[in-house]
Amino acid sequence: MTMTDLITSLAIVFIAAGLFLLIANQLSLSPVPFYLLAGFVIGAGELVAQDQLIELAQWGIAFLVFTFGYRFDFSSVQAVLRDAETAAGTQLIVVGPIAFVVATLFGFGTENAVYFAIAATLSSTIVGSEVLEQEIRNNLVHGRLASSVHFFDDLLAIGLIVILSADQYTTTLVTSQIGFAVLLLLASMLVYRHGFPLLVRLAGDSDELVMMGSISILIAFLAGAELAGLSAVVGAFAAGIAIRSDDVSSLGVRNGIASIRDFFVAIFFVTLGSLVTIPSFDVFVIGATLTALVLFVNPLVMTLAFVFEGYDVRTAFLSSSSLNQVSELSLVIAIEALLLGAISETLFEGIILAAAATMILTSVARRYEEPVYRSIVERVVAGRQTRKIDDRSDVSEGLTDHIVVVGYGRQGRRLVETCERRDIDYVVIENDPVLWDDIQTECRNYVFGDALSVYPWEKAAVEDASLVVSTVDHSLVSEAVLDIDTDADVILRAGTSAEARDLLDDGATYVSVPNVLAGDQLDDVVDTIEADEGDADAVRQQHLEMFETLERYGFASRNERI
Amino acid sequence: MSLGGIALATDFALLIVAAAVLSYAARLTGQPTIVAYILTGVVVGPIGLGIVGEDQLIEILSELGLGFLLFLLGIEMRFDDIREIMRPVGVIAVGQAVLQAIASTAVALALGFTLFQSLMLALATTFGATPIIVKVLGDKGDLKTLYGKADVGILIFQDIYLVLALAILTVGTVDDTAEIATSIGRVLILMVAIGLVAYAASKYVLPSLLRASAANKSTLFTVGIAWAFVFIFAAEALELSVELGAFIAGLSLAQLPYSTELKERMRPATNFFIAVFFASIALQMERGQLLAYWQEALLACAALLVINFGIVFGLFYSQRFDMETSFLGTISMLQVSEFSVVLGALAVNEGFVEEGILGFLSLMALVTMPISTYYVRYNREIFDRVEPFLSRFEREDTIEADPVEYEDHAVIVGYNRFTAELATLLEDAVEDVVIVEDGAEYVEELAEGDHEFIFGNARHGEIRQEANVAEADVLVSVATRDDVNRRLVEETPETISIVRTTTEASAQRLRDHGADYVVETAGLVGTELAELLATFDDREAFDQRLAELSERARSETLRANESVDPASTSRDDGRDRTRHRDEERDRRNDENGGETDV
Repeated sequence: MTMTDLITSLAIVFIAAGLFLLIANQLSLSPVPFYLLAGFVIGAGELVAQDQLIELAQWGIAFLVFTFGYRFDFSSVQAVLRDAETAAGTQLIVVGPIAFVVATLFGFGTENAVYFAIAATLSSTIVGSEVLEQEIRNNLVHGRLASSVHFFDDLLAIGLIVILSADQYTTTLVTSQIGFAVLLLLASMLVYRHGFPLLVRLAGDSDELVMMGSISILIAFLAGAELAGLSAVVGAFAAGIAIRSDDVSSLGVRNGIASIRDFFVAIFFVTLGSLVTIPSFDVFVIGATLTALVLFVNPLVMTLAFVFEGYDVRTAFLSSSSLNQVSELSLVIAIEALLLGAISETLFEGIILAAAATMILTSVARRYEEPVYRSIVERVVAGRQTRKIDDRSDVSEGLTDHIVVVGYGRQGRRLVETCERRDIDYVVIENDPVLWDDIQTECRNYVFGDALSVYPWEKAAVEDASLVVSTVDHSLVSEAVLDIDTDADVILRAGTSAEARDLLDDGATYVSVPNVLAGDQLDDVVDTIEADEGDADAVRQQHLEMFETLERYGFASRNERI
Repeated sequence: MSLGGIALATDFALLIVAAAVLSYAARLTGQPTIVAYILTGVVVGPIGLGIVGEDQLIEILSELGLGFLLFLLGIEMRFDDIREIMRPVGVIAVGQAVLQAIASTAVALALGFTLFQSLMLALATTFGATPIIVKVLGDKGDLKTLYGKADVGILIFQDIYLVLALAILTVGTVDDTAEIATSIGRVLILMVAIGLVAYAASKYVLPSLLRASAANKSTLFTVGIAWAFVFIFAAEALELSVELGAFIAGLSLAQLPYSTELKERMRPATNFFIAVFFASIALQMERGQLLAYWQEALLACAALLVINFGIVFGLFYSQRFDMETSFLGTISMLQVSEFSVVLGALAVNEGFVEEGILGFLSLMALVTMPISTYYVRYNREIFDRVEPFLSRFEREDTIEADPVEYEDHAVIVGYNRFTAELATLLEDAVEDVVIVEDGAEYVEELAEGDHEFIFGNARHGEIRQEANVAEADVLVSVATRDDVNRRLVEETPETISIVRTTTEASAQRLRDHGADYVVETAGLVGTELAELLATFDDREAFDQRLAELSERARSETLRANESVDPASTSRDDGRDRTRHRDEERDRRNDENGGETDV
């Protein structure tokens, strides 16, 4: 095949990808499954010769993992240990084996069954974090939990790749693989500490040089991995860690690498899709089974695990229902296995099909999770929840005319402090186990439960309260607060004034919108500056004073703790 | 299908690592990176160590690099920018092609080449090296200056000329005039046809296509590349040059507001691929072949530089460009292009000339391209030296074109109801209000609005440069990303900078980086509520205060009915339709101080 043919192939890949992405955008769905769909079409039409694209696709894998590596945040490991260790572990020891058994029933050998189990267990960071964007941004508990598990899955995937890239699974070989991987990671830490900062310093202010340097580091680590007989994925991950940097000046470099990554990753996913021939009945059945496992069994197990870990049922349910898709790293594992000849074609195609299906369905499913929760899950667990809430709450008898504060985040704390200072009675409702200790020691009255359910409100004696203040910017919570039967004034929080208007119409006494407050303040500032012809110093001084006041109250330091 | 290594000892990997090492060396010795890239091919290729050959990946990426570069060049061309200089530039381009061909033929004859060889050399050495000129001027930020625009205009004429030359050579037998005429005619007709298609597309198809894809930046990128490939594909199928197709594709996007962000998404990938391109130039060259006519080549280089300077400078001057523009515009064009090598290779393939001629052309390209980067890079310094001698010829009635640069302006990053109000508020205080926003839903509103508008994300250096953030009087940013805000604040030490952020920790960081005023939104809610609660004991005062707030909130939402608040359009069932979707992913790790809520 000549070069011009390869250009033609690339042209077809990108034109198809472009068309499908337009559909994805129209439906507000993640691009990844649509790349795969574009690949299906190209593959079905036999429009390109995939073996020519495989090399480019491998660079796609390398860049994909590379960028995962450089976003790697060591504190996330702590977060996983804090939030989700049981759930993540359960997923591994329950879902994995179930899937393994299912695969064996299909008649697959051990090796294939393992690949099947991996595909069923791991969930996708790219798709998941897109689906949960709002929740993660607002730092809602279930958003945080889901991203912790995603993070754990990604790490797990890389670990699995280390082991699976061994030619034979003898103990010595696997151990040596792990040994090499550890060496590679140590090398990457060394580069991270000493090499990369030097590279940046030598480059002066040239983003171009840092980018060439970063890509060279990537290549060096890929070569190192290949030399050790490890998968390129491990090398790419280590290289990503090596060039981690929190410096703002790395912004240009990150943009650069993201641009190159987007190019190769598109090729990777489309090529992957194009490897699926018109599915036979077997492939279809396997794909469907895998889809069912991922969509239903995995979330069920995860929900139970989260509940066991101390989260309320709704949070557990919402977190795990956003973990129901096949991971893009499972796809990487699958294609590596295919290239090694370690996976059967049928299974490979089944996994790709299931990936495309689950990645699309997960977004669709989220639109129905609230009704599903109300009609099914809530009924099943109702009684047990009440007992648990009783166990973990402390509300004095006979409270009247008190304030119910929803959420013990930073704003919640300020409110509690004001109440304490003024000696006003209050009850805090909060459901984040991370804040459990703080609430116990700092609050006089608290209900540890989900503000979306009814019982915590009863517990907080809301019917006798005179004011309910919600510090949570989440429309479901706001609606739940308004649904409560009480004469108390209701103060809510909303992200936009349009939402605030709706809430006011629905009966809220007042809705606080940060943007509106910020806008008012900005207007004032600009007025000041204009009146004073650019006296920035005065503005700065005033601002500093405000901050000092805040710090005196200790709010900044409190915030650091969360 | 097999699992070939992609990094270990593959040609591509070695080439990139070598290029990186050499470009660091270049940086330390103060040389431009392009020189390092070109030298990379010489050092590791057959001429030097011989450890890297041209493999498929290198070839495809360098080809794409060139295509993307032209695509970007197309995107940057706004007709309004060059319309006023179209005529003089056309005259210069045609005059240069004719005069330079005559001069080159004469030089080649004088060096002892046959007439046929000389004509061939003349045909091949007329072009300026587009990648060099565009890259160096782009790095200097000079593409939008008058001389930059003139040069780019000339290069486009040369591209057309190149396509024609390629068409002539591929016909094979040069004797048949009729065939050549048909061939040229066909090329011209096809080019016009593609141009018309592109024009129609930019009027009727692209606006809605881009609006549909602009919400997600990865989609915009992929759809942009897809668009380029449609034209590359068409050009390929019609046997026109890939570069020309890419250029027209870019041109059709240039007039639309979305192009600014797309350009910045494409630029890094293009820079990387073009580095591969530069490094690969010398890979096809053999040492013996290269040195066959080395003395002649060096003489020809010297002669061409001098003669071409005279020709191009004369033409510039005759077209009423001022002295500085003429000088700067001329010295940028003085080098033998890699297209000469392409044409030479084709001529060898078709059997017109022997391999030595190709070596001659290659050597000229290899010598003049790196040298020219120096005089292009330091063109102003050189001009300052020679200005005393030239200034007496300066004429009065020169062409003027204002460089587009904002001054005494305010930059607003992120458009929402409040910044919209601010823009109105700032209007009287500053010359211009420049709004930088990458939300697709506002494009039409902003493009038609009273204020200047740049579609794009402030995370890109070029976007910040285009808004001339560093020299703004006032900067207001409501960008969601902390690192973008920090970068903005860092770049504006002299400016009054006001930024919005969500947490106290990041507010502190921003102030450390030099923000004059930080609005911290979540804290405001806390303050407001705490103040309210402070009156809780006094039931009457509390109720009154609450009533006031409530009253204000209701009037607030009335104003919001004509809302342009970003999230208000995208809040249906909690599913944000995606501003900054991809950025949120980046952000995941860098914020841990937000609200912890139910």
